[in-house]
Amino acid sequence: MNSRMSEQPVQIVMIEDDEGHARLIEKNIRRAGVTNPVTPFGNGTDALKFLFGPDGTGIANKNKPLLVLLDLNLPDMTGVDILNKIKTNDHLKRVPVVVLTTTDDAVEIQRCYDLGCNVYITKPVNYDSFANAIRQLGLFFSVIQVPSPT
Amino acid sequence: MAAKRTPVVSLQPLLLGLGFALLVVISAATVYLVDRAADDLQRLTQTLRVEDQLSNVLLDVRRAESSQRGYLFTNNQDYLKEFYEAEPQARQLLAELRALTKDNPARQAMLDEATKLIDAKFKEMSATVVLSQQGRRDEARNLVLTGAGRTIADQLRKMIDGAISDEAHLAATRRDQSRQTNRMLLYVTLAGAAVIVIIGILSIVLVQRNMREREATQKEIESTNANLERIVEYRTADLTEANEEIQRFAYIVSHDLRSPLVNIMGFTSELEALRKDIFEQIGKLSAQIAALDAQAAAATAEGQIDQLGEEFDEAIRFIKTSISNMDRLINAVLRLSREGRRQFEPQQVDMDGLLRGIVETVTHRAVELGARIDIGHLPDVESDRLAMEQIFANLVDNALKYGRTGEPLHIEISGRATGAQVVYDVKDNGRGIAPADHARVFELFRRSGAQDRPGEGIGLAHVRALVRRLGGTMGLASQLGQGSTFTVTLPRRWTGGNWRMG
Repeated sequence: MNSRMSEQPVQIVMIEDDEGHARLIEKNIRRAGVTNPVTPFGNGTDALKFLFGPDGTGIANKNKPLLVLLDLNLPDMTGVDILNKIKTNDHLKRVPVVVLTTTDDAVEIQRCYDLGCNVYITKPVNYDSFANAIRQLGLFFSVIQVPSPT
Repeated sequence: MAAKRTPVVSLQPLLLGLGFALLVVISAATVYLVDRAADDLQRLTQTLRVEDQLSNVLLDVRRAESSQRGYLFTNNQDYLKEFYEAEPQARQLLAELRALTKDNPARQAMLDEATKLIDAKFKEMSATVVLSQQGRRDEARNLVLTGAGRTIADQLRKMIDGAISDEAHLAATRRDQSRQTNRMLLYVTLAGAAVIVIIGILSIVLVQRNMREREATQKEIESTNANLERIVEYRTADLTEANEEIQRFAYIVSHDLRSPLVNIMGFTSELEALRKDIFEQIGKLSAQIAALDAQAAAATAEGQIDQLGEEFDEAIRFIKTSISNMDRLINAVLRLSREGRRQFEPQQVDMDGLLRGIVETVTHRAVELGARIDIGHLPDVESDRLAMEQIFANLVDNALKYGRTGEPLHIEISGRATGAQVVYDVKDNGRGIAPADHARVFELFRRSGAQDRPGEGIGLAHVRALVRRLGGTMGLASQLGQGSTFTVTLPRRWTGGNWRMG
């Protein structure tokens, strides 16, 4: 995730309603040495507005390198809906989506992968595990190949 | 329904009883009338006989008179034979008539009169016959010529004719009466026949109505049964829905409780990390102060700082332990709710094999504890294999966990089939459970006795929930300090149609 892959740095879109979680995630990403800009959203509506642009087609973000960090439990909609919308949109379907949530239900995990989620991570309560998972994610970000704009 | 049936039930015997009472009355009337008809006939016959005999009396007198006349005229003794016969005959007839008309005082009086007249007549006739026999035929003829005898005979004839006419009248009356009685008898008999026919028809109608009503009731019962089944279905569906909702609720609540825990734990850890930095800073500052100030003061400050650090660490430790505990509890609820939503897959379960497998997994622990585990012959059961494994693994684990100090642990697993059920006992000689806690140990997060073993207090709650969902019951017999026996009773065949819910 550096400029070698693309001219623009990859923008991390974090959709997470819990401010504390958002803060902890960002802290740990930074600790892993990831410096990419993080754009946080506290609810699904605002996040969708940003992702799909003012016209709702997603064309606005067509050529932008994005990575979505998605919580499934949002106040206004479920993360599964957002995941589905992203993966069924022609302009956004290649954007990597990392589901990072407290839900460890096997059915839910399966559903997310079926819909095209790229990584599914359960937030552990144990902070060491949590921090470790996020740091691993950060390492993952640094090697991930985000489709470069044409 | 009841209001419609009640009158028929009481009316039917009433009507039939009434009908039979009527029949009895009619029978009695018939008997009475038959008796009366016989009586009437006898009286009629009697009257006719009286009439007859009265004519005969007159006839006898006439015969006596004609034979007297014959003798007087011819002086032939042969005529007298009939004359002598006639008198006793007439008297006999009179006696007979008296007997026949005993109940008629007027007739008796008339007979008295007739007897006097007959006496007089025969006296007169005898007198003429005697005179003639003595050869005084003129005197005898004169006596006849006086007409006294004829007068008597006329009187007698008139009297008897009157009596005959009376008797004839009486006979006619009695004949009418007899006819009337017979007619009444006929009516009564006809009425009886009519009553029998009516009772018969009534019985048929009532029986038919009864049958119709019974059919209607039967149909009603059938429909009620069908309704009941429907109601049960609805209720079951309601309960299933409510249960599902509770499961969902438990899942959501426990799940959502985790989110804040992640924060609390995360920021507590962050605080811990910050503490290191802060105390390092403080250490540096106090070192600088020490360079400026007296040595003793610095030493005191260092000691104070160490103590503050310890208190800080202690607080953080308590918070972290509590968070871990809470996380364990939430996970337990989550697991229970997840288990509650699992679909059972009934199959024939080889219980001997299942229990041997469970015991094998705990062999290491059992050897460490010096425990002996015996498995008796266990009947197979048609149930969910995973659930059975969880149930018995929990029970065996519990038995191993709660041994008694100074007593080698002995666990006995036995089973028996009783009709449609199978019963399994897991018996130990461990520390036991006080009777007051028998219900409590099955409750979620509740434990009993000394809390010296790790555990969340969900094992038995989980076991009982599973057993109930499998359609069985859970029992416990235990005395504190003497061991416990947990009894699992399950249907031998899978009955869990109703228990399969999402």
